[in-house]
Amino acid sequence: MRWVDIKKSLSEFWYDFRRQKSGLLGLLLLFLFIFTAVTAPVLTSPDIPQKWQGFWLDNPKNVPPTWINTLSSQSMAPHLTITGEELQKLITKTDSGYLIKVSYNNEYDIPPQDVVIKDLTGDASGGKLSISVMVERPDGRKITLLENYKFSGSIVLQLGSQPQVRDNLIKWAKEEGIYVDPLQEFQYKTLMDATKVIFGELNEDIFERPKPLTGTYTFTIIINVPEGSSASFENAKVIFTGRTYGKLGTDFKGRDILSGIIWGSRVSLVIGISVAVFSVIIGIFYGVTSAYLGGWSDEMMMRFQEFMASIPSLPILILMGAYFGGHIKLWQIVVLLVIFGWVGIARVARSMALQIKEQVYVEAARVLGAGTGRIIFRHMVPQLLPYAFAQMALSVPSAVLSEASLSYLGLGDPTAVTWGQILHDAQVAGAAVNGYWWWVIPPGLAIALVGLTFVLIGTALDRVLNPRLRRL
Amino acid sequence: MGFGRYLVIRLLNALVVLAIVTLVMSSLFVKVAEKDLENTIIQKVNAEFQSLQQQGRIPEDPDAWRAERIAHYRSQYHLDKSYWWRVQYYFRNTLTFNFGKTKNPVFGSEKDVMAILKVAIPRTIQLFTTAQIIIITLGILLGVKAAQMVGSFFDRALSILALVMSSIPMWWFGMIMLLIFSFKMGWFPSRAIPDPNLTGWPHIVDLLKRMTLPVATIVIVSFGAWAWVIRNIMIGTMQEDFIMAARAKGVPERKVIYGHALRAAAPPVVTMIIFSLLTSLGGAIITESVFTWPGMGRVYWIAIETNETNLIMGLTFVNVLLYLGGVILADVAYGFLDPRVKVGASENV
Repeated sequence: MRWVDIKKSLSEFWYDFRRQKSGLLGLLLLFLFIFTAVTAPVLTSPDIPQKWQGFWLDNPKNVPPTWINTLSSQSMAPHLTITGEELQKLITKTDSGYLIKVSYNNEYDIPPQDVVIKDLTGDASGGKLSISVMVERPDGRKITLLENYKFSGSIVLQLGSQPQVRDNLIKWAKEEGIYVDPLQEFQYKTLMDATKVIFGELNEDIFERPKPLTGTYTFTIIINVPEGSSASFENAKVIFTGRTYGKLGTDFKGRDILSGIIWGSRVSLVIGISVAVFSVIIGIFYGVTSAYLGGWSDEMMMRFQEFMASIPSLPILILMGAYFGGHIKLWQIVVLLVIFGWVGIARVARSMALQIKEQVYVEAARVLGAGTGRIIFRHMVPQLLPYAFAQMALSVPSAVLSEASLSYLGLGDPTAVTWGQILHDAQVAGAAVNGYWWWVIPPGLAIALVGLTFVLIGTALDRVLNPRLRRL
Repeated sequence: MGFGRYLVIRLLNALVVLAIVTLVMSSLFVKVAEKDLENTIIQKVNAEFQSLQQQGRIPEDPDAWRAERIAHYRSQYHLDKSYWWRVQYYFRNTLTFNFGKTKNPVFGSEKDVMAILKVAIPRTIQLFTTAQIIIITLGILLGVKAAQMVGSFFDRALSILALVMSSIPMWWFGMIMLLIFSFKMGWFPSRAIPDPNLTGWPHIVDLLKRMTLPVATIVIVSFGAWAWVIRNIMIGTMQEDFIMAARAKGVPERKVIYGHALRAAAPPVVTMIIFSLLTSLGGAIITESVFTWPGMGRVYWIAIETNETNLIMGLTFVNVLLYLGGVILADVAYGFLDPRVKVGASENV
């Protein structure tokens, strides 16, 4: 084939394909998926697969996406982390240490879960450092939350669950003239949702049913550094742990589900496409060889094909999973899916090849002394290419589904971030029972969308490339 | 070649396949079970040793006693025999439905694999046959309708629906159904295991309530693709000469479609029905476990989770058996329904 011919047939193909609206939509979706998969490290961060299995300590657990606020009557505080340069700007040096002033505008019906001061490191060679936290509320009142809390090394200070903070809040409320039931006091000390009180209206109900007080809160963090000691703010963070997080919320480990979905697209595309390509190639060659050889070899090959077709694939895949020690690595999944994927294609390829075999030019080639390999490769397989391309696209969804199903059963590769794995975690953590819809719906939609993409492309290809099989 | 001979060859072929699949499974399983059994033996011996200790009858030479007990159990579990001996032992047992017992009881107190299967299979059939009947009815009705008005809005909508639905994982859709109708709305129970205290009419109502969500899930996910295939088959048949002839004769349109066209399209449809029933039995594994429906799939899941090798073996064998039986049934049905299918011709398809 000359280059000009290829160019011509390609442009003809494109001319036909362009008229298939569904095919174009599929192509668009495919580009979108490829773009997402390729740019995953940029869109999220490159270390997601490494840290996926661990707990994401900085994030809130099991919280819905932030945009949920636009749908519900109650607004919930989003996640806010102040770190790096942003934090450095808020730090001032004083005679005895440092002073950090953090303003937080609480305009939400449900305030943050917690206020965390994290990874502040102190070198205590000259004596321990101490930290005090004060807050000035929009109603003008000041509360000392923490006084002279001594520390060395790296600290994680969770104001919401710190006992001293609870004590100070009860003390402050009493000073403001709020009656605190002595019988209840102990309960408050152990169970109180401290942030709701910090961000709450000052009234008799502040402990029982705190109402949010909106406005700007200024947190003053004073760090006292004794002579000879030093403090480092390099990794320090101030976190207002949200009741909502990001575009798709978080799961039980605080993982950002959106990053998981984005990284999962890589696995899905790679597995789906490689399984489809390999199984179609094997199936075509198997079918063509079988048809060309004929006789006993054909008989044997078809018996083997029937044998493979008779094995119910999912149970055997599960069985193989158990054999591999409960977890199948990604490449093993690819191999297994290919082993079961070529069977149907071989059958159709054989029936098509039987027709091609009878054509004159094949016979002519044989008479001229062409070998079996040459006839199969050069004369018969190229005839089947259109069918092959359509089949490749159409086999992707089932491969993606199979991988997701295996992962969902807990047999997948635990070190990989895949949509099936996310759904598996969701099922184990009872996400449906607890109503964590943001954890269940997106991965499934993503799987369905990949399936739809390739079905659209496949049916369009089928219509363009196989006019003989053209469906109305 | 006569039909009888074709059937015999088909049966023999199926038996050979069954034998090979079982052999492959056995050789895999012997490997998996080996590690498992070794652990079980050590646990058993340790437990025995402890109970002896409590009774104050510690053996004189604990190491020798231990070795003796381990050897005893090893011979009991045939671990002292060669790998191939065990493979053929497993192979023979499986072929004769001698699946053995599970380590832990499944379904209450049942430990016998055969008895577990006898409880589970009818439940799976109950769920999936109900769903399949609805799917087939809906599929045929909608498919025929779409074929009647090719290119209309209805036809296009159906095609798109079929494409979208066939890309959705059934078990995921089940999770969504549970999320909405069970946990948010509270209309249906989330667990499908029936209440054992109910009998008579309340039992049936309870059962129907528990079946609604799984059946709805299966139907919604599958009927679109079905309707689409029926539509494609029907379009092909409607262009045949005998349909034209019937129309020309003035046969009413209803009768042309349901009497002539659908009847001619019956062979592939019946094959499809049989095959979809079969594949649903295999695919039920995840769907059933989502709804905790106590059928074959659920048992399969339990067996995997708790490493019950005997149970997995029995389930897989029964699955393969059902599948092969279905394939033969489909072939026979095809032969009966379509007289054109002569064996010699079908061999080359």
